[in-house]
Amino acid sequence: MAKVTLKNITKVYPGNVTAVKDVNLEIADKEFVVLVGPSGCGKSTTLRMIAGLEEITEGELYIGDKLCNDIAPKDRDIAMVFQNYALYPHMTVYDNMAFGLKLRKVPKDEIDKKVKEAARTLDIEHLLDRKPKALSGGQRQRVALGRAIVREPKVFLMDEPLSNLDAKLRVQMRTEISKLHKRLNTTFIYVTHDQTEAMTMGTRIVVMKDGIVQQVDTPQTIYEKPENMFVAGFIGSPQMNFTDAKIVKEGNNLFVTFGKEKLPIPADKAKVIEDAGYEGKEVVFGIRPEHMNDDAKFMEEHKDSTISAKIEVMEHMGPETFLYFVCEGTNMVARVEPTTTAQLEQTIKLALDMDKMHIFDKTTEVAVI
Amino acid sequence: MDSKGKLSKILTYTILTVGTLFILVPMYVTIVTSFKTPQECSKSFFTLPRSFYLGNFKEVIGRAHYWTYVKNSVVITVISVAVIIFFAPLVSYAISRNFEKRYYKFLYFYIISGIFVPFQVIMLPIVKQMTKFKMMNQFGMIVLYITLGLIQSIFLCVGYLKSIPKELEEAASIDGCSPWKTFTKVIYPLMSPMVATILILNALWIWNDFLLPLTILNKTPNMWTLPLFQYNFKSQYSFDYNLAFASFTLSMLPIIVIYVFTQKYIISGLTAGSVKD
Repeated sequence: MAKVTLKNITKVYPGNVTAVKDVNLEIADKEFVVLVGPSGCGKSTTLRMIAGLEEITEGELYIGDKLCNDIAPKDRDIAMVFQNYALYPHMTVYDNMAFGLKLRKVPKDEIDKKVKEAARTLDIEHLLDRKPKALSGGQRQRVALGRAIVREPKVFLMDEPLSNLDAKLRVQMRTEISKLHKRLNTTFIYVTHDQTEAMTMGTRIVVMKDGIVQQVDTPQTIYEKPENMFVAGFIGSPQMNFTDAKIVKEGNNLFVTFGKEKLPIPADKAKVIEDAGYEGKEVVFGIRPEHMNDDAKFMEEHKDSTISAKIEVMEHMGPETFLYFVCEGTNMVARVEPTTTAQLEQTIKLALDMDKMHIFDKTTEVAVI
Repeated sequence: MDSKGKLSKILTYTILTVGTLFILVPMYVTIVTSFKTPQECSKSFFTLPRSFYLGNFKEVIGRAHYWTYVKNSVVITVISVAVIIFFAPLVSYAISRNFEKRYYKFLYFYIISGIFVPFQVIMLPIVKQMTKFKMMNQFGMIVLYITLGLIQSIFLCVGYLKSIPKELEEAASIDGCSPWKTFTKVIYPLMSPMVATILILNALWIWNDFLLPLTILNKTPNMWTLPLFQYNFKSQYSFDYNLAFASFTLSMLPIIVIYVFTQKYIISGLTAGSVKD
């Protein structure tokens, strides 16, 4: 068990391609940190630098208190689970799991004990004599996890380990990995492009884009208080609605306006916006789908902040319904009750919970509130 | 199946049948002739032997220096093939994993350029050079076979290594392997289909080769390999078919044994299950 510290880590590939830029991150002991972002954002490169599979161009990497920049992967006391499993095809499941221990000259009976214990934990005891080609995708991923577990490393690194599994198995493995983290009580660093995985598994999330860390925080804070438009849009499904808007002042009150719509800004938020000097300025207004509703009670609670919405598509998900609509030329989506009376092609009124709204600077895309 | 598919299937099977006959008929003639008496042999080439006459084999084995020629062929083939199957995967691994580097790329193309030069073109310069180096002997022969065998083997191995996922090496390095251990414990076992292939190809070629021993080892008969010995069954006016074919049958045996033992390694999809495709 150990903390992992990244100090000004940069990775530049030949041809001057910067994959990761100036990453600073402190991962506490026993923490489950998820690096999330779209393809090419540098999350896997960061993980591979921690693993020692990529050289660090600039900066310092510490595992525990040990500077690890020039330490070989085998001496970093880490274990990694790969996206594509990377099981040795010529070895049985048992040998795959025992391989790392054999190389470290662990006594045979101890290897046997550890492998069987890990196999029991992962429910793959009956597969120990099989070769990887005789396993299903889920079983292979369990073996890959088992290979990491038996080593009892200080840090577990996982590079999109669930991306090759089908949707049902992914959900199942997601909970199993979370349970595993609790049981092993060690540091996990997990890379994914799936924001649901990030939100459900991580104790902290690191959102990355173009090699730069956008925000590091708990899942709840990232969801509720995104620091910029990218984070706000990337985390959450369906994603946050954005529209170009303007802040106007009428009397003592601030409003956010777009097209014919005019929505009052709550007093506490209005003060922050005003103090930041955004009065009269063009901004980007953001609101999550679940903060818009046509439910009678919700409408009553937020009767001052309603918009007109022309319904284009309705998706009935069972416990909820997504309304895809156009408002003042902008496509938006609302997550409403399944009992909604909205009809296709109909123009309805939707109320907005303005306490949950977001305002972003139009140029820098940084969150104002 | 549509008529086009049917036609292409008929065509494929016709070509394969003709091709198979081109191999099986001479093999049949070789084997049956080796069991015939000279009288039977002179009557018909294609009939089956009336009795399994083993006198041809006895006579071939009894010829002067026969076991010396067998020993020469075995020594040259075993050493050359052993060196080739050891070094070809090693060199190919280094090249394939550093292919983006200019030096390795140059090295690869420099090595495989040898494929495009026919042996007949370099035959005389080789004789001259080998004479100068005093290598017109078995040692020189082995060096030449290794050199020529490595070219094709490296070409095949580099191509094959591209199909072995790099993640396996990364997993090995995290598991605790040094580069050498990664090669010996992970890469080399996965290359066994290709190693078996280059073993068979080179063993077959070196064991049966006639032209190179003729140019390098023809000075004294005790240096000969089996193909040179077999050539001597042919004289200006006659050909001892039954003896020649008996010696051909005998010399086929080791290659058949090698094939039987190594063909199980030539299994496609050995890396199946290692990574998700």
